[in-house]
Amino acid sequence: MLRCLDWSAVVAAKTSNSPCVVVHGQRVISRSVAAMHYGVQVGMRRRHAQGLCPDLEIATYQPDRDRRAFNTVVRTINEIVPLIEVSEPGVIVFATRGPSRYFGGDEPMASKIVQVLRSSIVADSQFGVGIADSRLAAHIAAHISAQNTAKNTAKNTAKTPFIVEPDQTKVWLAKQSVRVLSEFANISGETVSLLERLGLNTLQDVCKLGESVLAGRFGELGVELHRLARGDEQHPLAAVAPPPEHLCSRAFEEPITDQQTLLNNVQIMAEEFSDYFVKHGAICVRLILKFESETGAHSERLWYRPQGLTARAIIESAKWQIESWSHNSALVRVQLIADEVRTDTARQLKLWGGVTQVDETATRAIGRLTELLGSTAVHLVKWQGGRDLQDNFQLVSASHFQTRQSELNASTEKPKWRGSLPTPSPSVVYSEPQLVQVVDKDKNLLRVSARHELSAEPVQLIISKQSYKVISWAGPWPIEEKWWDTARSRRLVRLQVVIEKLLPDGSQQVQALLVALEHGEWSIVAIYG
Amino acid sequence: MKLLVPKTLVAKHSFFEKQVLENFAVSDQVRQLLPDAGLVRGRIVRCCGDAAASLALSLCARASQQGSWLGVVGVSHLGISCAVEHGVALERMVFVHPPESSRDWSTTVAAVIDGFDLLIVAVPEALSVSDARRVQARLQSRRSVMIIVDTATLSQPNFSNNAHPFHADVVLDTATKSWSGINNGAGYLQQRQVAIKVSGRRVARAQEHLVTCNY
Repeated sequence: MLRCLDWSAVVAAKTSNSPCVVVHGQRVISRSVAAMHYGVQVGMRRRHAQGLCPDLEIATYQPDRDRRAFNTVVRTINEIVPLIEVSEPGVIVFATRGPSRYFGGDEPMASKIVQVLRSSIVADSQFGVGIADSRLAAHIAAHISAQNTAKNTAKNTAKTPFIVEPDQTKVWLAKQSVRVLSEFANISGETVSLLERLGLNTLQDVCKLGESVLAGRFGELGVELHRLARGDEQHPLAAVAPPPEHLCSRAFEEPITDQQTLLNNVQIMAEEFSDYFVKHGAICVRLILKFESETGAHSERLWYRPQGLTARAIIESAKWQIESWSHNSALVRVQLIADEVRTDTARQLKLWGGVTQVDETATRAIGRLTELLGSTAVHLVKWQGGRDLQDNFQLVSASHFQTRQSELNASTEKPKWRGSLPTPSPSVVYSEPQLVQVVDKDKNLLRVSARHELSAEPVQLIISKQSYKVISWAGPWPIEEKWWDTARSRRLVRLQVVIEKLLPDGSQQVQALLVALEHGEWSIVAIYG
Repeated sequence: MKLLVPKTLVAKHSFFEKQVLENFAVSDQVRQLLPDAGLVRGRIVRCCGDAAASLALSLCARASQQGSWLGVVGVSHLGISCAVEHGVALERMVFVHPPESSRDWSTTVAAVIDGFDLLIVAVPEALSVSDARRVQARLQSRRSVMIIVDTATLSQPNFSNNAHPFHADVVLDTATKSWSGINNGAGYLQQRQVAIKVSGRRVARAQEHLVTCNY
């Protein structure tokens, strides 16, 4: 595995020695060596980084730029190793068995790669080469190698690859801290923090627990954790027959020169290809993409995504591969070869967060209802917080929501906003308030002073010419929102009133209402029904 | 002389079997109101009067917490904060706005019945008796519970007892008697006393309860 540290900052920097950071969402996601010397760290706020180093160069996050710059590295490596996998800009993975034998062992091969890269343009970036038996171990090894290189550049010593001896991977990996999981294996920081709090500090501890125990506690994630910790590469295999020939390979009668036309063709193929696996309850996690040109030259590359390659991801990969391949002739053939396929259990369950039969039936019913009525007629609830009754929760179209279930699950226990009404809340809330008159004993409309004081006590409520006696009242609860913005500012007061009603059969009944005064008009906003 | 009934016939005929009633759990406060001490699957409960919406939510709350999904059909005014305070699980609550016409409304409700255990519905004026029958039959075969909310205050049509298209198994008629916690400019609404009349075709003798509730 080859790993370039902070690739996007290296690309973004104007000169190799200037401090530079790449910022995404106000957070530093990558920083150059010079910036590192000032103490800038990944994950810092932009302001903080600027404070540490005033003449910091700040670049926005542009994955395309990083990718284009990385293409030269990809090409250089591709001359030595035929089949490589580029999972993200800055990282190249390949199987060492073949190349190692050709160069006479792991060490000579790694040195060869270092030598080749040093003579090409990436000489000023910090990169490392690591070799190990599993993906995670190789990632860590490459990272260590890159860090060693960074230390040694000052002393001008050679860049050293880090090689974990064959059969030693498991022993070596066991000593690593669980933090590596979040850094290199896409495990969320929360899970890792939980593992640490449970007293599992190294991968060895995780491994010792046993797969069934972890599965019991974490479900599918636990199995994944154990697999990573013990250094296994194998996912549970899915026994799916390979897709039929016409899905995987397409020959063009008329050679294609235009990139867009080619991508359109790949899109059609990719959709059919991923549909095939979805139908069989599997996902393709590793794929070989192969392009062949008129002159017989071909480009072949591995693509890996642990969550599975969707049609969208395949197109993205194809685009990248085509861009990096400097071919001059037209293309005659595209091939998609599924290299690793596994069952799709983990992702299906996560979609709705539930595993019960009831949830599945409900999900299906929501799908059917959306189909029947359109997406604007089926809504789920999302907490958003607010002082007003209508602001507190938001109705979100069900079709938009299906992929963001985790957000929804987190919305059950939310704090109350300051200035919101006391509980219990009214059970009927009108979206369009009904106009009403709240009057005092002289039949004058009630007003509210600048200090939110009522002009008099409410005595009567007049709803469309019928008047009701106010038995009791409480409030007012004022809202003054966005007073700095003339267009969106709101100023209103709310009042709880209990009115007396006479039913046609002569019995008495009371009703509690929530009335509000806004722009000089009283209205019923809700009923405690 | 002995009456001979073949054993196979006893086993086959549903009349001889003891009918097992499956209930959805309800909170202790509303359990006393219901004839079978819980929400029996396949039945219709109708809430009317001025506290209908809160009562409907408190009927659903316990079952919703235990994993049942709640479909709210046509009651777009339902206060969501109020539902949360009753303990309804928001992640299993879905709002559906059905079309007004009788046939489309019943198709929509049938689809909701297929997927969800609990329904809170407002019945449109246009619903015909035959469509209502069909919905009720679907409800009984899918073993969900439908809670009809009709209040005059919801600005929904208010059916008189006879003209209602659905034959409710239990009818809960509410009338708020008094509120406490509020006192001419001080305090806030806290508790109320509600008189609830229980009737319906599953209720042997109509009863009236006076309940103090803090919602």
